[in-house]
Amino acid sequence: MEAEKKSRWRWGVNRWIVLVLIVLNFIFARQFPPIAPHVQLPAEPIFPLTLPVVGEFVVTNTIIATLIADVVLFVLAFFVWRSIRRGNQILTGITGVVEALTDALFSLSESTAGKWGKSIFVWMATIVFLVLIVNWTELIPGVDSIGLFEADHIARPEECTFDSFYIGSLEIVSVGGEPACSAGVIPFVRVASTDLNFTIALAIISVAATQMIGIRALGVSYFTKFFNTKTLFTAPMFGVINFLVSLLEAILEFAKILSFGFRLFGNIFAGSILLFVVGTLAPVFLQSGVLLFEWFVGIIQAIVFGLLTLIFMSLATVSHSEEEGH
Amino acid sequence: MEGDIVQAAKLIGAGLAAIGVFGGGIGVGLAALGATQAMGRNPDVAGTIQTNMILGFAFAEATSIYALVVALLILFVF
Repeated sequence: MEAEKKSRWRWGVNRWIVLVLIVLNFIFARQFPPIAPHVQLPAEPIFPLTLPVVGEFVVTNTIIATLIADVVLFVLAFFVWRSIRRGNQILTGITGVVEALTDALFSLSESTAGKWGKSIFVWMATIVFLVLIVNWTELIPGVDSIGLFEADHIARPEECTFDSFYIGSLEIVSVGGEPACSAGVIPFVRVASTDLNFTIALAIISVAATQMIGIRALGVSYFTKFFNTKTLFTAPMFGVINFLVSLLEAILEFAKILSFGFRLFGNIFAGSILLFVVGTLAPVFLQSGVLLFEWFVGIIQAIVFGLLTLIFMSLATVSHSEEEGH
Repeated sequence: MEGDIVQAAKLIGAGLAAIGVFGGGIGVGLAALGATQAMGRNPDVAGTIQTNMILGFAFAEATSIYALVVALLILFVF
């Protein structure tokens, strides 16, 4: 019975749907030509907000994207919890994907860190899931493209009027030829990894958690990794070199923060600019190829962030004096 | 006239800063070279080698991403 139902799906349907979508894309691209993107590094503010403890601040579009990613994570966790409470042994669908990813991350962390694998897995899996969902929001149509208008270059303000709902090109040209004002789109939702606040905050959390796990594993003697005075007086020449190398390790921790933050930021920001530019230059078919590449880059960057956190944390739990060997 | 010179200088600076990106391409290619050779010699541990290859990709790519970030900073912030 089930085999009959499955073979009802005709093989050639999908390619006609794709063809119709390509033709529609071509028609719309001729009708509403694409706009030049307005790219800026800091996140654009949407509306101001006053919270009781935090005070006054402005909600930017990357904060909205982070909140959306949080909601998605909670919904996924709820589905998995409900599925387990029913007693299902095998999880299917989206919960199956979550289970597969969790299983892969857990086995990876157990094989890398050994005894501390369980506590390190908590940090690593959270970072991987959050960064993965945040990176994949840039593939959803509507992100980075639907937003508010703002006139950013106003030459003659009295002639600068435009409708509030507009699709397509944005320069309002007056009779003299020079535009009265040119407007830019501020998207409602912008990918959170393109905001340096998000990536550097995550990097600081990761490095601080590494120090914390090192202290938990080794006690206060963890800090002899950065301040190695053990061999300073026993073997004079090598002692001084060991001491200087350990100071260098302390500086390396700060370099790690920058490296984590800029790796994720650079990849995703460059990817989103690539999506904008290719979508503007050749709006018909090429952006799909870039979208596929961005899907790949998103998952790779999330895994790399988590993997590097895992490796640095497992290095922190290993006692430094064991490596000396003499 | 001054505004044009500043804009032109920004563009030239961004173009010069983006030269450093090609080192990342060589680095990623070397990582893939090592990984495929290792997989050819020892196909049993291909999974482990693949994981470490992705890690090597990320490190090698990171330096070229720094060059790209400097170019973007010159264009959009300064």
